[in-house]
Amino acid sequence: MTQFLAVSNRKGGVGKSTISVMLAHAAASWGRQRVLVMDLDTQCNASLMLVGGEGWEKASRAGHTIADYFYDRFEKVAEDESAYVLSNVGDVAHGRFFAGRVSLLPGSQRLEDIQSELFVMQSSKKELHADAVAVQVRGRMKRLMKHFGMDFDLVILDCPPGLSYAALAALDLADLVLVPFRPDFVSQFALDRVAMLIEKVETGEQLASIPFGERRYVCLPNYLKGDGHERLLIDQLALDHPLLTTRLPTLDSIARAFDWDETRKSMEQKYADALPHLRQLHGEVLGAPLLRAKTA
Amino acid sequence: MRKKTRALSGASQDAYFRRVLRAHPALPAEARDRLLRTLRQEVAQLRVRVAPGRDADAPPAAVCGLPPAIAAPPVPVPQPDPPAAPPFDPFSPNIVVVVRKAGREAALAALGAIHSLDNLRLLAREQRLTVGADLSSAAELRIAIVAAAERRIANRMAAAG
Repeated sequence: MTQFLAVSNRKGGVGKSTISVMLAHAAASWGRQRVLVMDLDTQCNASLMLVGGEGWEKASRAGHTIADYFYDRFEKVAEDESAYVLSNVGDVAHGRFFAGRVSLLPGSQRLEDIQSELFVMQSSKKELHADAVAVQVRGRMKRLMKHFGMDFDLVILDCPPGLSYAALAALDLADLVLVPFRPDFVSQFALDRVAMLIEKVETGEQLASIPFGERRYVCLPNYLKGDGHERLLIDQLALDHPLLTTRLPTLDSIARAFDWDETRKSMEQKYADALPHLRQLHGEVLGAPLLRAKTA
Repeated sequence: MRKKTRALSGASQDAYFRRVLRAHPALPAEARDRLLRTLRQEVAQLRVRVAPGRDADAPPAAVCGLPPAIAAPPVPVPQPDPPAAPPFDPFSPNIVVVVRKAGREAALAALGAIHSLDNLRLLAREQRLTVGADLSSAAELRIAIVAAAERRIANRMAAAG
């Protein structure tokens, strides 16, 4: 059964793409899973991290991006969608006999335009209220994502900041939403909002009435420097949101892992001193019953 | 005749302390244990006078029947230096968390343990809780800190819709 994990936060610069790629490598290497990264962010950072600039540009020119997939298949899906997939991507060697592999549905800078276009197309077909059309577009995108992910064990949806139709569809589809955040003053507002969106509630009181164990999201403190201000904020956020015990510090090795390299390397070489943190994150999100419980 | 002295340390010193303390039966056992611990901790080596014909291990004068006041002047028990206070942590208690979990009275009580105006101001500054610069008493500062925490909470609730 395919598991869908969205990595999302409406705030930018919190490490969504980095964490998506790290978890993809970890799931393929350690969990031996067939992993698909769907790059829903028009910045395409996850794609660049997994195939480099030239690889992404080639896919883009060939019309093999997520924007092309949504556009081409909006009316009717095909049996074989493999043309859109870049297989065995990333710069980590997973071993010849391991089933684990990372694949990519590359991102596109045109994704926002395509969404608008699809909205207009749908609006012109039927006399529907704009909200109803938006629901239709989102619903169709969700089905397309689900259809595309069926050949994989794990689909990681790297969401954009903001609330595009694709982002909302991904949040709706996900079995679990991982919400990375930097513990700063505005993060608390961003977490509150994305949490209400995921749980489909409109007020803080409604959100508070949902026990942590029943929520579809979990938050990950990222880019920690280890000072008292962060501690304050994390303690405050822990009152309202489920937090992982994993804490990702600010590390050069994570920043360097951002670079794509043609030479494949081991997880130890790629993630260096970030490896124990990644192991903990992988264990907590994918190895532990957290995601399995959500998908059951 | 000149009295000789003898150095005691380790087990013999320990035994000597115990004997001295046992020689004061009026001393409560708890106080005796506390003194013994203090002496063990503070005294590395002891030099005791050995009167002619008496061994250093012999009981001190009080045990020989003399009233304690005559036998020996009260020996000032060395008091250990109070342990150095840990540096003030301006992030603890987390006032917003205390207000959220236990209410304003609990937060005021938690702040009541902080007596220094400087520390209260430092806590307010580090926890981003704005208080007036003109407040001059600890009680006023504590109330202002808790009020600022309540404003922070209300602010966040408002933003969450």
